[in-house]
Amino acid sequence: MAEGNGVLIVAEAAGSDLRPVSLELITAGRQLADALGGGVTAVIGGMAIEDAAQRLAAAGADKVLVADGDAFADVTAGVWTALVTQAIERTQPAAVLIPGTTAGRDYAPRVAARLGVGLAADCVELAVEDGAVVAVRPVLGGRVQTAVKLAGNTPQMATVRAGSFERATGSDGNGSVELIDVSLSDDDTRVKVLELVQEAAAGQSLEGADRIVSGGRGLKEPDQFKLVEDLAAALGAAVGASRAVVDAGWRPHSEQVGQTGQTVSPRLYVAVGISGAVQHLVGMQSSDYIVAINRDPDAPIFKIASFGIVGDLFEVVPAVIDEVKVARA
Amino acid sequence: MHIVVLVKQVPDLNTLKIDHATGKPVFSGQKATSSFDEYAVEEALRLKEKAGGEVTIVSAGPPTVKEVITRALAMGVDKAVQVTLPDPNALDTLAVAQVLTGELQKLSPDVVLAGQTSDDEQTGQVGPQVAELLGWPHVSAVTEIEADGEALKIQRDTEDGKQIVSVAPPVVLLALTGQNTPRLPSIKGMMAAKRKPVEQVEATVPKTKSRISWSEPKSPERSATGTIVQDVPPAEAAKQLVGWLKENKLL
Repeated sequence: MAEGNGVLIVAEAAGSDLRPVSLELITAGRQLADALGGGVTAVIGGMAIEDAAQRLAAAGADKVLVADGDAFADVTAGVWTALVTQAIERTQPAAVLIPGTTAGRDYAPRVAARLGVGLAADCVELAVEDGAVVAVRPVLGGRVQTAVKLAGNTPQMATVRAGSFERATGSDGNGSVELIDVSLSDDDTRVKVLELVQEAAAGQSLEGADRIVSGGRGLKEPDQFKLVEDLAAALGAAVGASRAVVDAGWRPHSEQVGQTGQTVSPRLYVAVGISGAVQHLVGMQSSDYIVAINRDPDAPIFKIASFGIVGDLFEVVPAVIDEVKVARA
Repeated sequence: MHIVVLVKQVPDLNTLKIDHATGKPVFSGQKATSSFDEYAVEEALRLKEKAGGEVTIVSAGPPTVKEVITRALAMGVDKAVQVTLPDPNALDTLAVAQVLTGELQKLSPDVVLAGQTSDDEQTGQVGPQVAELLGWPHVSAVTEIEADGEALKIQRDTEDGKQIVSVAPPVVLLALTGQNTPRLPSIKGMMAAKRKPVEQVEATVPKTKSRISWSEPKSPERSATGTIVQDVPPAEAAKQLVGWLKENKLL
């Protein structure tokens, strides 16, 4: 066992900034490192990410490894598998935590296969028992959870669902920052990113949003989604959507909350015309306060709502918007 | 172009119940094709229609996987390999990937398609691990595939928007559920399926010990006891909600 070598976390850059999940992994990594021994090392790849790297050090990473350059401008599974595998070989950690993002879910299984070790996917809780990482993760559409125990091989690997841990808020850490070289083969770079079509950049991003208003099939038509946008504007919230309306093409995937979209845990989550299919619930059920507005009293969303209104959303939502405006005036 | 689709049979989640006393799932015994894999089959058929070639389905599991194979053949897949795994639930994802990789090496496809994740275990690991073992690249979260000369132009969904990537086969592609509705098997398709070749294979299970172990699933405990407002005029319901928001300092 590589006892004492601590925990390696993979941070993700968003432009020159950090994705919030990176700071959550510092918290999770510290928790495991305290039990397993050693410190927390973060690795990050990207282009012109010096500030992001410094922020990781300030937030509490003992050491930050940085792969900076053209080769890391786009996140692809091939390049990141090489990057993360080489960071593991260099640091020999007892455990590795990877964000449960589109990218993280992509390279984590490849790294685990390359090293021949186990991987617990999409974990929401982590603990250590007798030196083994035990992770709680949702299965069967998120209606139930299972505890997965990693055994034997080092490193023990897990991907961590966004929103499962508090963000590290430190700002006076003085971890070291070190540039690393990553050797890439032709096989690692066979997928070329041609372009990124950004959608709905006007709205507030779901990631890290404090309040979210989401709409579903109950809105009946794409145009009616304006009700959700108006309520979000009144509450100062970001706009989310269910898989049904994203699949139907009403809303962009970047707004999708749920199993194949984003996992969110805002302070306030308002579900409008969303029945609460399991794949949606799994993405928002850890929100602090959940408000549901739906016509169907038997909709599963009411089972997890802190405040529910059974009624016609086309009447209820405009009334709520008016009341919120009065309250905020 | 030879396209192989990997398909998993899962418990039908629409008929899954939770025993509220114990928090444990109660399975109806009904099974289904994992929803993401159904989209993978559709994408494979569309790619064949555009670029020509042949589509083979590979499904590993207990003998009942025959049902998902028959369905895919009825949708238009050309042939099948049915891999019998003695105790699939005892295998970790890497062991399953090793079994599937063995079959893929015999079939030598240009493109392997699979669902982004499975409806039951939800690890999303087998696809990328098959690609790793084959030494091929993979692209996940795929919503559209276009043949572009020797290469494939692929559209995928990410947190930051739609990304377009290019990759030359051989490649593993993982399909998201999306705007392409999977076709339903036709009567004619179902008749034709009976005559399509299905190769039977007994899997040689890797001898390595499972790298992970897992407990029996249980529903997470929730303490939320919510206020539900019903049969109240909209204006009154809105007032109560805003009062509650204020009370909890959410406004």
